Amino acid sequence: MKFRCERDVLLDAVSGAGRATSPRGSMPILGGLRLGLQGDLLTVTGTDIDLTISVEATVDGKHDGLAVAPARLTTDIVRSFDPGAVEVEADDEDLTLMSGRSRFTVRTHQASDFPRVAAPAKDATVSGISGLSEALRQVTRAASSDDGRPILTGVLIAAEGAGLRLVATDSYRLALRDLPGVSVLGEGQKVLIPSRALNELQRLLSSAADETTLRLGDHDASFAVGHATLTTRLIEGDFPDYRVLIPSGYPNRLVVGREDLLDALRRVKLLARDATTPVKMALRPNSIELAVVTNDWGAAVEEVEAKYEGSEMTVAFNPTYLIEGVEVVTGEEVCLDTLDALKPAVLRPVGSDDYLYLLMPVRVP
Amino acid sequence: MRVVGEASRRWVLHVDMDAFFAAVEALDDPTLAGRAVIVGGEGRRGVVASCSYEARSFGVRSAMPSVEARRLCPEAVFVAPRHGRYAQVSRQLHEVFAGFTPLVEGISLDEAFLDVTGAERIYGPPARIGRLIRRRVLEQTGLVCSVGGSRVKFVAKMASKAAKPRVTRSFGQRSRPNEPSGAPTAFGAAGDGGVANGGGPGSGVFIVPEGQEVAFLHPHPVEALWGVGPATSCRLARMGIKTVGELASVPPRTLEEVLGRAHGAHLARLARGLDDREVQPERATKSISQEETFSDDRFDVEGLRVPVLGMADSVSSRVRQAGMRARTVTIKVRYRDRTTRTRSYTLKEGTDTTSDIARAALALLSEAECERGVRLIGVSLTNLAEQGGTEASQLSLDLGGEAKRNPSCRDATSAVVDEVRRRFGPESLTTAALVGPARRSVGLS
Repeated sequence: MKFRCERDVLLDAVSGAGRATSPRGSMPILGGLRLGLQGDLLTVTGTDIDLTISVEATVDGKHDGLAVAPARLTTDIVRSFDPGAVEVEADDEDLTLMSGRSRFTVRTHQASDFPRVAAPAKDATVSGISGLSEALRQVTRAASSDDGRPILTGVLIAAEGAGLRLVATDSYRLALRDLPGVSVLGEGQKVLIPSRALNELQRLLSSAADETTLRLGDHDASFAVGHATLTTRLIEGDFPDYRVLIPSGYPNRLVVGREDLLDALRRVKLLARDATTPVKMALRPNSIELAVVTNDWGAAVEEVEAKYEGSEMTVAFNPTYLIEGVEVVTGEEVCLDTLDALKPAVLRPVGSDDYLYLLMPVRVP
Repeated sequence: MRVVGEASRRWVLHVDMDAFFAAVEALDDPTLAGRAVIVGGEGRRGVVASCSYEARSFGVRSAMPSVEARRLCPEAVFVAPRHGRYAQVSRQLHEVFAGFTPLVEGISLDEAFLDVTGAERIYGPPARIGRLIRRRVLEQTGLVCSVGGSRVKFVAKMASKAAKPRVTRSFGQRSRPNEPSGAPTAFGAAGDGGVANGGGPGSGVFIVPEGQEVAFLHPHPVEALWGVGPATSCRLARMGIKTVGELASVPPRTLEEVLGRAHGAHLARLARGLDDREVQPERATKSISQEETFSDDRFDVEGLRVPVLGMADSVSSRVRQAGMRARTVTIKVRYRDRTTRTRSYTLKEGTDTTSDIARAALALLSEAECERGVRLIGVSLTNLAEQGGTEASQLSLDLGGEAKRNPSCRDATSAVVDEVRRRFGPESLTTAALVGPARRSVGLS
């Protein structure tokens, strides 16, 4: 294999595909990147079996070929080069990277050991999904990172009415986003996709046009975004029935400026010195008072102007969870609906039903 | 030289059980009494956890490989440790201690510091309190302990060593001479009333009278000091320092240069009998752990699931007994090449249920590189908090189906398990996976 290209073209490809590799896993080859050249088309692939990312790039190809090189090292080398042309050459044992007066030779893995990358899924559903980037940002954060509860590490993507619905929960909060009019799935069809894969997808989307193509198989799904393709296994099992968790009505409604609330929360959170310290929110007719008290460190209190209708009360939340919800509500104002200090509260944008973030309070002694 | 520690207005006793595990075994099985008993794993890699004085007279010591212990003392009876039973006896001991003072600091199952400053008015001088404690412990548990006392905490710990029975080479002839004799020699002539009242070295109670701390300390080898391990003692030996007295003669500045600032300064103070640490009652438990060394390296994760599950069961039972909840579960894996790796998982909320802890431990186990050969595995709980304490608790959504967790039901199960074990012994009830032919495949619902 031999080709030439701009450093930035190669860096985008190796760093993008490298995000799917697992350098510390039990199989060394999974810490490698597969570089395949056919004509002028370079395809760089990284995988940890569950997740695969392939990035295509157009290069000045000399000889076709294949090599598997350590992802981290290769990426670091390419990144260290000055902008300009990079020449890459590989034989059975080494990959050579040359730029300017630098020349690196890196030992490669046996290319035939590299796992077969999932073939394009059968029963492909092909369609464009717009608005997915924002929806992922709003929903994946509520998924669990607890591998002991695999179902909750996924994001449910389901056909809902004439659109698509994304739902995730870690059992402390639940995020739900509707994408009306996006008809990617058939009626009643739903899949459970690992949130890790969707976080990577979101990264890809942020650096490309927000147009995604989904192909769906029985056990895997693949997303094509620009020059990159991300393939992930699906999580098997039934997502909890989230509908019963969402209260049908709320007696108390708070409307508050999103930025004002966020700024105040981030300030008072400084006093939350461990992960279990809650922020207490005292709800009053024309304002709310946020307070964080940590015995050994001190206290922070801040008042924020707000409109509140309902009975006066204090409800406590995990400040990180609350901030993560407020952050992704769109619009200048957010609405917080509450029942009482021990029942789920709901954050949503004012005047829109597309998004909701259900959050369980913290019980304070 | 001036002697007494700055916070010297208190009296500290250190109570240390004699050959604790072995003595408990002999108590429960009278046929073991008077014999060389070794508590510990008998396998190739087993180590001696505790041994009777009869075994010690053959040169057997704690932490010695069982193979070596067997060679030194072929007639010894090996007994597998029963930590649940020792913990039970330990609780009885603490009940005894609590009768003398509320200021009790347990440092292990068989060792505790007691601040008896206030108890003097009720029970008399420290030596008398020491003798009363020994008698009460014997009555309540049938076990023998040694008591050391001093105005200075760490000196009390060394004094309890001096109070211990002597190990003699002639079998069966350990003794507690009533008169002070032998080492620590320089101290034999102590004039204050404390020793006379308390009996001398080897007699079960040894009180270092106020003002005699340095005289007591100086003949001891430096290794006897708390905080002097093999590395430090080796460095000191190179400077020609073997005894505490020699250590005290070195300027503190020099020690700080050789041993590092904090450690050097600390040892310089100890060597002069200075220690302002107080007895800390209810010493907060920081971690609860258990580990097992295998006689043969294990290469498959299946062969490790059963022991990990057993350890998860045991540590979760202990965290419940302590009335605490744990948030962090850690597994420790030592591979064949002796490299040790730990992996931990922190839960969002504290738990004391076996199934939560086992699930986390098994998930961590699945990340271990078993093909490298596993020599030792351990499970520990950290990030402990008092049950129903002042901690705020994050509430959960009530998820149905597969993701469901029902803490109140699990709590009830664990409580019943604990109660059955309390009444019928630690082995009376366990997970099906840990007994019989079902040991092979382990999963958790």
